[in-house]
Amino acid sequence: MAIITAHNISKRFGETQAVDQLSFEVQPGEIFGLLGPNGAGKTTSIRMILDIFQPDSGEISVLDGPMNEEKKNHIGYMPEERGLYQDIPLERCLLFLASLKGMDSANAKSQLETYLRHLDLYDVRDKKVKELSKGMQQKAQLIATLIHEPELVIIDEPFTSLDPVNTEIVKKLLEQKRDEGKAIIMSTHQMSQVEELCNRILLINHGQRVLYGTLQDIQSQFASRDILVTPLTELPGVIEGVAEVKKLNGRYRLILDQDAQPNQILKNMIQAGIEITQFEIATPPLNQIFIEVVRQQERAQNG
Amino acid sequence: MDKIWRITKYEYTRHVFQKRFLFSLLSLPILILVMFAVSILVAFVSIDKTPLGYVDRSGVLDLAAREVKDSTLFNPVIEFIPYQSTEGAETALNNGQIQAYYLLPETYPQNLDVQLVFIEEPAYEIQAQFSDFVAQNLSLFDNLDPQVERRLAEGSQLKITALDGSRETSQDQWYTILTPLIAGILFFFVVITSGGYLLQAVVEEKENRTMEIVITSVSPGQLMTGKIIGDIGVGLTQLLIWILFGWGSLMIGAKYLPALQDFSLPPEYLIVFLGILIPAFIMISAVLAAIGATVTELREAQQFQSLVILPVMIPYYIVSTFMANPNGTLATILSFVPITAPIAMLLRMSFTIVPTWQVILTSMILILSAIFAIWFAGRAFRLGMLQYGKRLTIKEVFRKQVQQ
Repeated sequence: MAIITAHNISKRFGETQAVDQLSFEVQPGEIFGLLGPNGAGKTTSIRMILDIFQPDSGEISVLDGPMNEEKKNHIGYMPEERGLYQDIPLERCLLFLASLKGMDSANAKSQLETYLRHLDLYDVRDKKVKELSKGMQQKAQLIATLIHEPELVIIDEPFTSLDPVNTEIVKKLLEQKRDEGKAIIMSTHQMSQVEELCNRILLINHGQRVLYGTLQDIQSQFASRDILVTPLTELPGVIEGVAEVKKLNGRYRLILDQDAQPNQILKNMIQAGIEITQFEIATPPLNQIFIEVVRQQERAQNG
Repeated sequence: MDKIWRITKYEYTRHVFQKRFLFSLLSLPILILVMFAVSILVAFVSIDKTPLGYVDRSGVLDLAAREVKDSTLFNPVIEFIPYQSTEGAETALNNGQIQAYYLLPETYPQNLDVQLVFIEEPAYEIQAQFSDFVAQNLSLFDNLDPQVERRLAEGSQLKITALDGSRETSQDQWYTILTPLIAGILFFFVVITSGGYLLQAVVEEKENRTMEIVITSVSPGQLMTGKIIGDIGVGLTQLLIWILFGWGSLMIGAKYLPALQDFSLPPEYLIVFLGILIPAFIMISAVLAAIGATVTELREAQQFQSLVILPVMIPYYIVSTFMANPNGTLATILSFVPITAPIAMLLRMSFTIVPTWQVILTSMILILSAIFAIWFAGRAFRLGMLQYGKRLTIKEVFRKQVQQ
């Protein structure tokens, strides 16, 4: 059963069609990447899921049915524009936000302690929120999003202010939540994080669906038949089944003959006595797919 | 319901347990204490305890017949010294042995003419002591029961009673006039301070974007209701502490000022205050919260706040109209207009007996206005939070189709 089902949702603000006939599903136990250039309609879509806006047309089902007040207790939301009460101690702030999610205070306290220790905020729990660094506030915000064990987590740019160490901790945390069966929607511009974390992605532009599916499917859809090789020594000029060899920075790009298979090429190279440290099919990075797809669409719209 | 309570608790504790609240709480009693202390000091210093002289040519006065009341701080018993001649009294006055002297001529029993000779006029209390002394010695009518005579000398005491006997007022019951007036001023102070907190809380929540998180946890209606109840709690706490303080001062004051001793309040007052002031308070708070939801900056919010607060005070500006004709058209209309109703009704109650149906009508109007204002605030909030950096117009709040 899908956690979210959006069917042909549209939203218009004055002259702007923010979301246009968008359909997608989010399943439990997956991290779902919601991607798109600035102004593509990501935040509007999220707000429609959360019932902050109503769609002009189309239907959204969240946690099996339309959104209601009770369901808010099972959703965790971390907006892009962070917000915590600034003038009160961190612990009090988070306990209050947890209480608004329906948690009783004993449960909230014990959960909070676990999270504060895990995210290395336990020692600053009595400090006022405004005295904390940006990264600390962001981690605190993440606690507010996760503390009530929501079935559905929606996070907007979770890594922006985090250093590599904290990024790693947060990533682990999100993976753990996914493995527990929660559905996580992650909106971000950091494609490397998407590649590492997301099971499926939805790329939208101008409010429309551009790419939708598992990460592997999309990457192989865009994959060329080229092979990237890093040998120990120089490559010979001719390899059976390879039409062209291009030298890159320390490695080679092999463009194959029409009917050649990568497996056969690897075999041929080993038989030719070439020592190889790396051999991979050249899947384009998501970043490149993103840019390519968005540009293509821009051209289509302008032409 | 549970979430409303949680928001209420949070709003309440977050304001009440702050230094700022303590300051605003203490500032009024301290101000009153200081004024009280200064006036005591002034009264104490200004009362001249030098004896008072008199020259009695009429032979009416008998010093032995003087009945002396207990001496109090503000009304010390002054010694009276009789003089045979005005020359003697004059000399004593010039020497500072007496602060003034009265002259009762031979014709006093006929025309009741008295002269007071002074360099600086004696205090009212001291003149009153002499008046009492004269009254005690008067025998205006022959063969009259001394008690009746005494009563005659004390003068009239006007008492007005409602036809059904439900309420009465007299010149001694100064507190029936003063209490509504003071209640109005306290109401105003409480509305300003706690309403100000609420406004600030809402604007801050918008500014620091906490709103989006809160609104995905509770409904706008729950949020607004919780905040407003919390705010009312803050206001009532403030009021309660002030009332306790006032009560305590009255108790202590009554030991020194006899005028305070017969202080008591008709129970209807409490009902009227609850039925009018509480809904009015809720209404104004909700309007302030709605303002907080529609503007983008605290400074802007404060300008709007004064636009709401000033009309509340209108009845005070035209208090003379209320004194002259408390049941007149203007006064009556103002006591039905929601924003002026609380103060207008209190002023009318000060100066007249307001028909019961009008009190009930005002209460109903205010309760309905309060409910409407909360609805309006919830709606403004829902629309306002999505428009960062852009002000929401009142028209939009009414017109926009937003499904709750």
